[in-house]
Amino acid sequence: MNVIEIRDLSFSYEKEPVLEHINLTVEEKDFLAIIGPNGGGKSTLLKLMLGINKAKEGSIKILGTDPKDSLREIGYVPQNTNVNTDFPIKVIEVVLMGHVDGKRPLFGYGKDEIACAMGALEQVGMQEYAQTKIGSLSGGQRQRVMIARALCAHPKILILDEPTSSIDITGQRDIYELLKELNEYITVIVVSHDISVILEYANKAAHVNKTLSYHDISDKNSTFHTHGNDGHFCEIELLQMLGSESCNTCEEEQPQWRLKP
Amino acid sequence: MIEALQFDFMQHALLAGILVSFAAGIIGSLIVVNRMVFLAGGIAHTSYGGIGLAVYFGLPIFLGASLFAVGAALLIAALTLKKRHRMDTFIGLIWAVGMAIGVIFVDLTPGYNVDLMSYLFGSILAVSTSDIYFMVVLLVVILFIVTLRYRDILAVSYDSEYAGLRGVNVRFFYTLILILSALTVVIAIKVVGLILVIAMLTIPVYIAESLSKSLLSMMFISGAIATLFTLVGLWFSYTYDLTSGASIILVSAVSLGLFLLFSKRGRI
Repeated sequence: MNVIEIRDLSFSYEKEPVLEHINLTVEEKDFLAIIGPNGGGKSTLLKLMLGINKAKEGSIKILGTDPKDSLREIGYVPQNTNVNTDFPIKVIEVVLMGHVDGKRPLFGYGKDEIACAMGALEQVGMQEYAQTKIGSLSGGQRQRVMIARALCAHPKILILDEPTSSIDITGQRDIYELLKELNEYITVIVVSHDISVILEYANKAAHVNKTLSYHDISDKNSTFHTHGNDGHFCEIELLQMLGSESCNTCEEEQPQWRLKP
Repeated sequence: MIEALQFDFMQHALLAGILVSFAAGIIGSLIVVNRMVFLAGGIAHTSYGGIGLAVYFGLPIFLGASLFAVGAALLIAALTLKKRHRMDTFIGLIWAVGMAIGVIFVDLTPGYNVDLMSYLFGSILAVSTSDIYFMVVLLVVILFIVTLRYRDILAVSYDSEYAGLRGVNVRFFYTLILILSALTVVIAIKVVGLILVIAMLTIPVYIAESLSKSLLSMMFISGAIATLFTLVGLWFSYTYDLTSGASIILVSAVSLGLFLLFSKRGRI
């Protein structure tokens, strides 16, 4: 089943087009990595999926409906979760913000809402921090809380914008391991710069630079070359490959990189 | 001080001080977490235009100042929701124009010389019964809105983009916070004056911020701290025959200094 269908989408803020003729299909339980240079339109594509920006040409369907009507289906983790850390707010209150306006008590939060938020915190392993002030958490912990907030409304799709940009290496791994677990029952879309890491976890990759080129990378052995024996992908080559429509360079030139064993 | 309490004006002053301090604690918290301090200062000064108009047309001062301040708040809300990066320019402009309107209309009022100083620095000893009613009504309205719409106000203040994605009407709540700020500024003018109002809205909040885990507790801790400062300030003012508004602000500032000296926050 297709959870997201983008057909011939173009978008511009002013005259200069930011995105042109984008086609993208995301299937259920995909783990899609959206990569590409800064200013290439990654964030704009995300905002279109979230319904913050409206498509000028073409169409986006989230589970068959307009993005504006599918707020409940998408859990969103924004970039820069390190802003506003002085704000006096408890972890549980941040997570409770994830609920979409619906039936609610006269003041405060319903018992079911609190139970649901605690459940989301448990999923990301942060339940013992529920009453902690958000500012006293580490970057990685805060990112987990933001993921819990996104999970609060039981979305079918989880979208993350640069989820590890301000987290140390081990913290990054932990976040991706968590996303991998969540991916067993939820579709995950990640915009990221950490190409070598993200591509280990993703099964699809979309390279966005005004246009979009799409790659199925679920079979990593045949797709990627590795650099030496350390099992790491060469980022430059990956970027070149993902940016082009097909991977011709490999056959033409003498392979500098060995195939991953 | 105790013997002074038999006077009506002193009872009014104390009551007004407590009411305004609580309103300032609650709304000051919202102003600080939403980074609207300069904005609140702009509205405070702009409201002098309303005072001038009220004097000229013979209207109640509170009514004139409130309408003018709310008008300024709506104008700023409309402008900043469109062009946020120009916010400081608009505020500076509205700030000066509002004051100029006030001064001109007071000039034009025949045979009546308003004591400008009492609006600039407050006149808590001249609080009337109707002023008290106005303050009570406003505090009740603020408490009502803040408790019933706490989660929306919290969501908009903490992360407005996300709140919008969850279906919260961000524009509405942003404007609502501005209107409540404008009205709070107007009653605080009576106590500390329009120049000093900013300190009353921010000093207690700054202290409360590091003592609170949630916005709700921050609001009430700020209210309590502001009340304490107001009462101590009034005592100084009465005992040493000093201007009340300035006394309250200096008590607040010295307390803040001591707080920073002895708390972790000062070591930043």
